[in-house]
Amino acid sequence: MNQTIPPNTGPKKDDKPDRDHAMFDAELSGNVLNFQLLKRVLTWLVPYRLSLWVSGALVLVASFAAVLMEVVISRVLVDYIIVGDANSPMPDLGLIALTQQLEATFGLPALYVAGGLFFVLMSIVALLGHWHRLTLIDAIVKALRDLRQDLFAHLESRPSSFFDRVPVGRIMTRVTNDVEALYEMLRGLGSLVGEFVPFFVALTIMLSTSVELTLILLLLVPVVGSATYFFRQASREIFRQVRNSVSGLNQFLQENLSGMQVVQLSQRQDQNRAAYTKINRLNLEQENRSINLTTYYGAFNDSLASIGLGIIIYYGGGSVVQSEMSLGGVILFTRFMNMLFTPVVLLGEQLNVLFRAMASGERIFQALDWDEQIREPSHPATLPERLEGRVEFRGLSFGYSKDTQVLVNVSVSIEPGKKLAIVGPTGSGKSTMIRLLGRFYDFPDGMIFLDGIDLQHIPSRLVRRRIGVVLQDFHIFSGSILDNITLSDPLITRARAVEAAKTVNAHHFIEALPEGYDAPLVERGANLSQGQRQLLAFARVLAADPEILILDEATASIDTETEQLIQEGLQRLMQGRTSILIAHRLQTIQEADHVMVLELGKVREYGTHQALIAQGGLYKTLHDLQFQELSTDVTAPGLAPE
Amino acid sequence: MAYWRGKTLGQSALKALLRLVPYIARYRWQVVVGFVGFFLARFFEVSTYYGVALGIDAIGALVQEESLPFGLEIWEIVVGIVSAVVLRFIFVSRARRAFRLVGQKVSFDLREQLFASVLVQGPAFFGRIGVGDLMTRAIQDISLVQRLIAFGLIQVVIMVYAPLFGMTAMLFKSVSLTVLILPLLPILYFYAQYVATQMAESSQQVQESLSMLAAHTQENLSGIRTVQAQAQEENEIKRFFKTNNQYASAFYEQARINSLMTAWTPWLTALAQLAIIVYGGNLVLTGALSVGDLIFFLACLNMLLQPIRMAGFFITMVARAKVGVERLCEVFDAPPEIIDRPTGEAPALIGGAFVFKQASFTYPGAVVPALTDLNFSIQRGESIGIVGRVGSGKSTLLKLCTRLLELNEGSVELDGVPIDRYALAQLRSQIAQVLQDPFLFGEPLSANISYDDPERALDLIWDAADAAALRETVLTFPEQMSTLVGERGVTLSGGQKQRTTLARGLIRNAPVLILDDCFSAVDTETEEHILSRLKRLRAGKTTILVSHRVSTLRHTDRILVLEGGRLMESGSHVALLAKGGLYAELERLQTQGQRSDFEPELV
Repeated sequence: MNQTIPPNTGPKKDDKPDRDHAMFDAELSGNVLNFQLLKRVLTWLVPYRLSLWVSGALVLVASFAAVLMEVVISRVLVDYIIVGDANSPMPDLGLIALTQQLEATFGLPALYVAGGLFFVLMSIVALLGHWHRLTLIDAIVKALRDLRQDLFAHLESRPSSFFDRVPVGRIMTRVTNDVEALYEMLRGLGSLVGEFVPFFVALTIMLSTSVELTLILLLLVPVVGSATYFFRQASREIFRQVRNSVSGLNQFLQENLSGMQVVQLSQRQDQNRAAYTKINRLNLEQENRSINLTTYYGAFNDSLASIGLGIIIYYGGGSVVQSEMSLGGVILFTRFMNMLFTPVVLLGEQLNVLFRAMASGERIFQALDWDEQIREPSHPATLPERLEGRVEFRGLSFGYSKDTQVLVNVSVSIEPGKKLAIVGPTGSGKSTMIRLLGRFYDFPDGMIFLDGIDLQHIPSRLVRRRIGVVLQDFHIFSGSILDNITLSDPLITRARAVEAAKTVNAHHFIEALPEGYDAPLVERGANLSQGQRQLLAFARVLAADPEILILDEATASIDTETEQLIQEGLQRLMQGRTSILIAHRLQTIQEADHVMVLELGKVREYGTHQALIAQGGLYKTLHDLQFQELSTDVTAPGLAPE
Repeated sequence: MAYWRGKTLGQSALKALLRLVPYIARYRWQVVVGFVGFFLARFFEVSTYYGVALGIDAIGALVQEESLPFGLEIWEIVVGIVSAVVLRFIFVSRARRAFRLVGQKVSFDLREQLFASVLVQGPAFFGRIGVGDLMTRAIQDISLVQRLIAFGLIQVVIMVYAPLFGMTAMLFKSVSLTVLILPLLPILYFYAQYVATQMAESSQQVQESLSMLAAHTQENLSGIRTVQAQAQEENEIKRFFKTNNQYASAFYEQARINSLMTAWTPWLTALAQLAIIVYGGNLVLTGALSVGDLIFFLACLNMLLQPIRMAGFFITMVARAKVGVERLCEVFDAPPEIIDRPTGEAPALIGGAFVFKQASFTYPGAVVPALTDLNFSIQRGESIGIVGRVGSGKSTLLKLCTRLLELNEGSVELDGVPIDRYALAQLRSQIAQVLQDPFLFGEPLSANISYDDPERALDLIWDAADAAALRETVLTFPEQMSTLVGERGVTLSGGQKQRTTLARGLIRNAPVLILDDCFSAVDTETEEHILSRLKRLRAGKTTILVSHRVSTLRHTDRILVLEGGRLMESGSHVALLAKGGLYAELERLQTQGQRSDFEPELV
């Protein structure tokens, strides 16, 4: 090394404890009703509470009307009109009196008045029921939209250390499926309310009709309840096994499909078929067990209401004879049976949904509470309008976890507008250096300076505005080419984007596309070649106009013509910018002002290309290997593999 | 894929569903059990209602001190009701179980057939129907069929039995009242159908916006480094809101239509109840009907309307299942891409001499041929390098050697026998081919290396790992050869993956070894090391390798240069350099530093 800078002797920042990212994957219990959690979900509904109140009021009125419809049939039609018993002590909620009054007012037969009443009530039920559902769903949908938005916004600003460890698929599930599960839960709770309101209205009327019969019928409720309990107990394990066997099936198939050529080349068809049949059979067995259980449970539940009918007839027969009940009263009970049992059965079903949703809720809140983030300065330093571009690493040591060191006391500085090429074997820490510079990770040991300002005193967002990064894998967002250059930044005009594309040689191929800059790109950019993607990446960075450029050069095979365009584009991109290059192409390295050779996180050599060649160290060995082996026929001695 | 446009279930649906008949026929006794069970269950259901009606009339008679209907005591009627309920429970659960079992068994069979079908398919098939698509067929489409059988059959039962029993019972009580209610049925039916289409359309919208939401999230999170590197979080959050809100709106719209259906159907049902109240009430007053009959009518009305409520649901289900069946049959009906018809002319042990004569190949659907008029031969024991740009036909050429692809024109002979006269099993077990894309299974490393023979001894596996310069890497894993790879295990780097698949090819020690650009992510020194070992291991055996590195190619006896699917040059490294053609140009570019391949092992 040409220059050594004393390592950072300043106070060490306290080490953060290592987080257990596996927690993010863990299957959460979800078996306990967690009211805290429920309450927290409900906070997202608070802004829409007005809708909820309206919805509640509507369902109350609608349920009441639904109960009255049955009273019209049993009390008005049967008791008053048919049996002619208007003075029974049974409750009619004033409907008989109303009928009598309407008869007198309009001079219509009682039967037509009853029909008219029924018509009005059924219309109220339909209309208000509809409004009730609309207002309820509106509130829920909006609340969950907000929750999802908050979740996304939260995840969007998690640091790289989070995304390194947690697979995208896991995070995705939170944003999509888990929020869906909460919808099921809230909607379920809503419909429970919609069912329980008529339950209580009906129950009140039944109690005022016959306390004894009502209580006898209510004895059936715990039967449904315990059936549901046993079903839940038995089904939980069975359902889990079904889920496992299904995912086993899918996983096996997916793998075999993806590796079909390997399967065929290895002549594994018969063996794999047998293995698949085995999983398939296991799945069938599990499914059968679940079918046995669910069919009996379902049929049992819808039989209980009918058993209730038998009880009503038996008990009602006795009471009517003793004039304790009217015939209409008995009919009223039979008509109420569904109102009594539907909510109880529904409650059982909803419990399952609720438990499932609990697990989802837990996962969502775990993500929302995941406070891992880059340490931002409490007193941010002010940056000049335009940085000169001096970058200095001083005594930088870093490891992704506590027990591994990726960088060891790295010190190097780059003067404004100069180019530094970093070379070294895999795992030498090249990428880590640029990640630290981009403020993707906190680094407790050592310092980095931008124009003499401690990087840790600059908010990460500002750092990233000043440093343009071209990563090896150019990520394409679906949208047009233009969107991908500007990244929807309103400050970057179309003209500026086109200008940038022209400068880095991307303009030509973009113009050749049928829709030019507005050509849509699909995810992962399948419709672009590697070289074109690289050029687009250059254009994207150039349009953002950062003072410092970081390039992780792509290694993919690119045809010679495109290669020329890329090299030329890169030259123009680096023009006037301090550039740090993780270089793979010799030309790029040769054109850098300095070369730094990293090995196992330590700076092994530093200097100009010529100087390092002359020095005859690691750089020289690597360099010569390439040339020597191509011009003579001697097999290179080679370094130890890896 | 107009799943939802299933209004007209014309002949095509019938044709598709007929394909299911043989599958269901295998379990015909279960189906019979289901139909009989449901018939009896319905009978006992009507009996329950009838019992209640009788009970009400009996109570009325007691009050009026008249004679009881049929001379039945109340308790006798109640015993009747309860027995009917119990019998219905037994039959209905047995019948439901029967149908659902058939559904599961048929999906078992469909899965088996699907897997067997894809095993004999080749690149053209997988090019047409991608892996994702096939997975959808295996999961979604089979489950559509399964649900059609399990629940669709129940729907058929409801549609046939419910009106049958409902009508019979009602007609039996009062013809005129039944006729009065009848006109409502078609209205309800058409309304239900109308709503069904609307519902299907809006649910399609929901599905679309949901997958947009998922895609947006996935895309954003996979590119989070770019987003953060460019400080674009705020913008991305705003962009997400659009997608998020769009989904919420689509969802609300679906719920609205659903709710409308939930509101209107009971209203129309209540209209029928209204008719029963007014007209039926009148009949009771005139003594033509009893109070119990009136209640019986109200109960039967529900039964009559049941199929109508289900109609929309059923139509959607059939329409979707139809598409599912068609998509499954597309897989089942695809003829095997490569026909295995060995003639017995082939030698027992492949030597490894290939002769390509006027060989041409065009991918199905492509206009430009991938290979045109290739004429060359490979001697037994020779090592051959193949070079050319991306798309010049290198991989295609290699795949012809193991019949992963089959020529359109010309011929390939292996040891003097046309290659299609070999048994595929022989060809693929005696020619080891390492593909360009290093594919690993979610199994231990040892199983991945010894994939062709899971029983192989561990030390042989270590030897292969040695040959592929993988030993050092494996030793760094705590579980060594038992290390699980893939999603649930360790993630290997590109180079490690390539070396694992290389070991998989080497372990077979086959007469012919074909390597398709499998050093691209291995660093130069390691590659150098592997190649020198390979030279010793493969002495006297045919080895064909594709590479874009001159440094690799120069190790081979002869190099074939492909360009645009044609063979442009062939000869030894030295001869080709002397010739001053494409290869010499490539060598010049690479040595002059256009590409350094400095240490491109990607992590």
